[in-house]
Amino acid sequence: MKKSLALLLAGVLACGLTACGTPAETPSEDPAEGEATGTYTVGICQLVQHEALDAATQGFKDALTEKLGEDGVKFEEGNASGESANCATIVNGFLSSDVDLILANATAPLQAAAAATDSIPVLGTSVTDYATALDLAEWTGTVGTNVSGTSDLAPLDQQAAMIQELFPEAKTIGLLYCSGEPNSSYQCDVMEGYLKDMNYTVERFAFTDTNDVNAVTQSACDASDVIYIPTDNTAASNTEAIANVVLAAEVPVVAGEEGICKGCGVATLSISYYDLGKITGEMAYEILVNGADPATMEVKTAPNVTKKYNAANCETLKLTIPEGYEAIATEETAE
Amino acid sequence: MNFITGLLNAMPGAVSQGLIWGIMAIGVYITYKILDVADLTVDGSLCTGAAICVLLTMHGVPVGIAMACAVLSGLIAGLVTGIFHTTCGIPAILAGILTQLALYSINLRIMGWGTGGGKSNLPISVDKYDLLVSARHVRDAGLHNPVLLLAVFCVVLIAVLYWFFGREIGCALRATGANGNMARAQGINTNFTKVLGLMLSNGLVALSGALLAQYQGFADINMGRGAIVVGLAAVIIGEVIFDKVFRNFALKLLSAVIGAIIYYVVIQVVLRMGLSTDDLKLLTALVVALFLAIPYWKGKLARRSAAAPAVVAAAAGATGKEDDGDA
Repeated sequence: MKKSLALLLAGVLACGLTACGTPAETPSEDPAEGEATGTYTVGICQLVQHEALDAATQGFKDALTEKLGEDGVKFEEGNASGESANCATIVNGFLSSDVDLILANATAPLQAAAAATDSIPVLGTSVTDYATALDLAEWTGTVGTNVSGTSDLAPLDQQAAMIQELFPEAKTIGLLYCSGEPNSSYQCDVMEGYLKDMNYTVERFAFTDTNDVNAVTQSACDASDVIYIPTDNTAASNTEAIANVVLAAEVPVVAGEEGICKGCGVATLSISYYDLGKITGEMAYEILVNGADPATMEVKTAPNVTKKYNAANCETLKLTIPEGYEAIATEETAE
Repeated sequence: MNFITGLLNAMPGAVSQGLIWGIMAIGVYITYKILDVADLTVDGSLCTGAAICVLLTMHGVPVGIAMACAVLSGLIAGLVTGIFHTTCGIPAILAGILTQLALYSINLRIMGWGTGGGKSNLPISVDKYDLLVSARHVRDAGLHNPVLLLAVFCVVLIAVLYWFFGREIGCALRATGANGNMARAQGINTNFTKVLGLMLSNGLVALSGALLAQYQGFADINMGRGAIVVGLAAVIIGEVIFDKVFRNFALKLLSAVIGAIIYYVVIQVVLRMGLSTDDLKLLTALVVALFLAIPYWKGKLARRSAAAPAVVAAAAGATGKEDDGDA
């Protein structure tokens, strides 16, 4: 009796759970009805809800929809909500529904997809360094397997040059980033090399998560003349906390991407994740329709970079920005 | 029926993930059900096991030995929590949280070993190393299919644990959780058995982490996030469904594994139904809360019916559930 009750409850629960789901994709149409090109199914696995990653996904979808038409492509989307172990579950779902291509948005989804299939084409985006992410011994510009994609690496040499241009008399540059993000420490490694070549003293300040952002930023301010923050997701979600410390300490921040600069920085060399996603979408089109082989497709970077500055913060810190920089749009002008 | 075939296609992957997390669930079962403490170390030790396994494999150590070292690292993590709890007198839940916190830094250091700094992600490719399990082979027929391999792995593990918990030391461990005062009166050093239980549990969790890293192709600092919830869900789902059927201790361990498989199958079904993954955490929390509430409601229902004279006899058997005893 009790057992049957438990089973009943479990059954009801399972039904309840499944009923919660609202189908994101329209139920399968008759495959025979498709155009000559047919309908493509693309699985999108994103690591975490995040402005930049969302933009890349959007750019990818826009590019593919534009090329294939609304009915030409169906997207199955999964977001691991920051739990990297979820990526394997999401990718498994894609494989079981025989997707034609997988978009892996960020490092962990790329690794999960590469582990799960060596036949279905996988395109990465928002991944900084493919060689590190996929454990490749040497980097030749292509991955050489079913994997290709786009890298969100902003030209770090140009960023270093920008620091030199803006702050020639600074002595110590502090690199502020989250130790939990592989992309960030990679960028800091490269940046450190460039800055040392320019005779700056470089010190690294890594926080572990949201909770110690404040304290670590404070010690970074105490020890440095200028702070550099790479394209770091944790920093990006804590710009307010960082701004409160750095603006009070009057230490200027040069950021690796626009979102961080908008919150707490003075200047940045910006790439657009939306554009990055769009390029990835165009690569997907090449693979799906023109039969391009991902093994021979070069990993691409963002098409154009822009020097931008945060007008309000520059004013607060009494900095004069030279010619050639574009003010970051504030909320009012952006809308 | 595209939906059904798709779902069937997804099953091997869901089952192998369930089996991997099932080992983790056995670890949680040892602390949560046998020892009666909620140990939050697991969120960290899962990643520690994964990190150690991947790091050693990358440096040319055979996978078997790398996994043994991963288990060892889990044992040490459990030992630390145990010492915090017994020697330092810190409440178990807090001791676990402290170790978990410390493990975040340690895991970064492990993965960054040899690079002079911390690293949050280590890839391991099945193309380059001879891994025990990989998502790549989940639909292949043959001995390297992870489902088969993991099933055998789980059965052997359960057999070993069954043997262990039948020996004097294992019984002492179970007595500690059932009634600490009574156990001490019998001359059991409960501090020792608690530490032992925590070590054993985290050793299993680290083993599960090592398998998971091979399966998904990477170790990541965030892979243990929310692991305790999956473990608890597995234990509780298994218990609610198989409580009355599985009496034997080995079967109770098995029910935790089956619970984990059910958990992953349900997740896969829900995802196939098109639920946005944004809502997945809310859903997981609701599932666990509901399954936690069911035994309580069942108990309440049984007590109420016991109060009614007409069904006294019928209820008498059912009210015994509180002390059905794992021992």
